[in-house]
Amino acid sequence: MRLIDILQSALRGVTSNKLRSVLTLLGVLIGVASVILLMAVGNGSAAKIRAAITSLGTNTITVRANGGSSTTGSSAITLAVSKQLEAAGLGHVTNVVPQATTSLTVSSAGASEDAISIIGTSADYFTVSTATVASGSAFTADDVASAAKVAVIGSTLATELFPSASALGQSISIDGTPFTVVGILATQSSVGFTDPNTEVIAPISRIQRSYTGFGAVSSLLVQAKDSDSVTAAEGEVTVELNQLLGVSSTAATSASASGSGRTSGLASQVSATSPFTVTDQSSLLQTQAESADSFTALLAAVAAISLLVGGIGVTNVMLVTVTERTREIGIRKALGATRGAILGQFLAEAATLTLVGGILGVIIALVLAQYPFNGTQPVVIGYSIPLALGVSVAIGVFFGVYPAARAAGMRPIQALRSI
Amino acid sequence: MSTAILDSAPTGVLELRGIHQLYGTGDAQVHALRGIDLSVAAGEYLAIMGPSGSGKSTLMNLLGCLDVASSGKYSLAGHDVNEMDEKALARVRNKEIGFIFQSFNLVNRMTAVANAELPLVYGGVRRLERRQRALEALEMVNLSHRADHLPQALSGGQQQRVAIARALVTNPTLLLADEPTGNLDSESTHEILAIFDQLAAAGRTIVIITHEEEVAARAHRVLSISDGLIVSDRTNPRRTLR
Ligand SMILES: Nc1ncnc2c1ncn2[C@@H]1O[C@H](COP(=O)(O)OP(=O)(O)OP(=O)(O)O)[C@@H](O)[C@H]1O
Ligand SMILES: [Mg+2]
Repeated sequence: MRLIDILQSALRGVTSNKLRSVLTLLGVLIGVASVILLMAVGNGSAAKIRAAITSLGTNTITVRANGGSSTTGSSAITLAVSKQLEAAGLGHVTNVVPQATTSLTVSSAGASEDAISIIGTSADYFTVSTATVASGSAFTADDVASAAKVAVIGSTLATELFPSASALGQSISIDGTPFTVVGILATQSSVGFTDPNTEVIAPISRIQRSYTGFGAVSSLLVQAKDSDSVTAAEGEVTVELNQLLGVSSTAATSASASGSGRTSGLASQVSATSPFTVTDQSSLLQTQAESADSFTALLAAVAAISLLVGGIGVTNVMLVTVTERTREIGIRKALGATRGAILGQFLAEAATLTLVGGILGVIIALVLAQYPFNGTQPVVIGYSIPLALGVSVAIGVFFGVYPAARAAGMRPIQALRSI
Repeated sequence: MSTAILDSAPTGVLELRGIHQLYGTGDAQVHALRGIDLSVAAGEYLAIMGPSGSGKSTLMNLLGCLDVASSGKYSLAGHDVNEMDEKALARVRNKEIGFIFQSFNLVNRMTAVANAELPLVYGGVRRLERRQRALEALEMVNLSHRADHLPQALSGGQQQRVAIARALVTNPTLLLADEPTGNLDSESTHEILAIFDQLAAAGRTIVIITHEEEVAARAHRVLSISDGLIVSDRTNPRRTLR
């Protein structure tokens, strides 16, 4: 039997029973599309978290003052403590940036925004954090020294305050005090609850003088030498701060001991007696990324089940077909069809059906993946396409061919008598 | 080829020796053929008669290589069928034998001409030649005007004629027909018997199963089977093999 005849009889088999063909096609299509889509959604949410980690910077540590009386007592982390920590020359630390934060109303001539987060910090902030100035420039160390009324503002805030013109060089009022906008930040992806694109960043000296006072700062942003020395830097910072603040050595020991447990996913070193908390945010996000990965795995399992169910549907249709067509196989054998010719026909038939269904499924999945699902942009995983296609085609072909192979192995008279 | 076959005389196209056919096992076992010895010469027109359940179809299925005997020896044109592999058997069914079933056995979703073409498909004949030869075969059974009809749109006699065209399309040396006129009215029966007469005159070997004396009367030789054994074997005095 010639190849073209095999293909032609397969095509005739596909078109002569449309309902069966459509059911098979649908089973494969849904299975393939759902595998690719579900895996893409899981992957998309993991990708979102990975992007957030890199935007945060993988080598920064945040030291937060624990609230309560300590903020005013001798153990408060003040600007002076921040300078001492930086001057201590810790081996794994390259920068210490103080942050005094508050939340105030910011207004321009035409607009006003409530509860804007104001960060008073040093000029090094722009090298330590991932915030970059898109237009204009950052404020300088001189601005900090002179407590200049200058500010760098987030891109969203800039357009909200100055919808029609550039905010650069304009004057804004923070709780009544006028500031000049010297720079606008590049748009950043949002991490956690605050939108970095609506922040105002100004010299810490000015923020303390006008709003927060000269007591404790809110937090310190510590830059480790590189992402590998984050743990060592955490330890050094903890020990040094304990010393600077005169915290008892037992509290200091317990704080630094828990610091070695970074890999356990516990990102904070909290001690009941310690006046501060050292947080390594990238490791916190790491655990989030891990949970996103297990979410992807869960979705993949659901997808695998839907593929299996689709496969069972295909199998069912194929089994019924072959039983129905055993007599036809008998006729063909009586007329001189070899086993191979019969198998070829059923193989081509099953392959055509499952491949067409599978390819349609891939196309539909790729189209649907263009649209965000529940706020997450699905990202199609490359290997999920051959995986889903391969599994569904294998199922369809196996169950299309296996019963046909059984019938083709019969003596013609057995097959002819079977119905 | 085994020497035993060459030694056995007389040598016909079909040679059967001690053929037994058993179906089922235990209490349900049926001994459908109990030792058939038969030799059919080339060009012979043989009719097989016998009561229902006597084993006629069982024998015919063995002759057509559609089934395998439980024991005994069957050689076809000098070749031992027991020793043929799957491919060789398929080739014999395709090229040497034209089989006409009592129940037509057409493929329902294929047109008359596509059904008639089917053996040529498995014979590896090219498309155009195939179509041409299938139409010629339909012409022979006077059915070319129904070539594009599906079997369900044809009468029983017409379906049987499609089946005959399908059996003839490969020009087989051996034509086997299991009650080809069993389902037909007398007019269709006459038409079909006329075709068989032509084929016999053209030198084809024909084996036909029938219940009707009228059909048997046209054959050169009439075999009677009862309970799995040949009970009589007579040549027709009016129509002998030339
Ligand atoms: N596949 C089978 N399994 C079991 N018994 C069978 C099978 N095929 C035939 N038989 C039995 O073998 C015997 C011969 O059957 P066969 O079909 O050859 O009869 P027949 O002479 O063709 O009858 P009819 O004239 O009714 O067609 C019967 O008793 C039948 O029941
Ligand atoms: Mg019979």
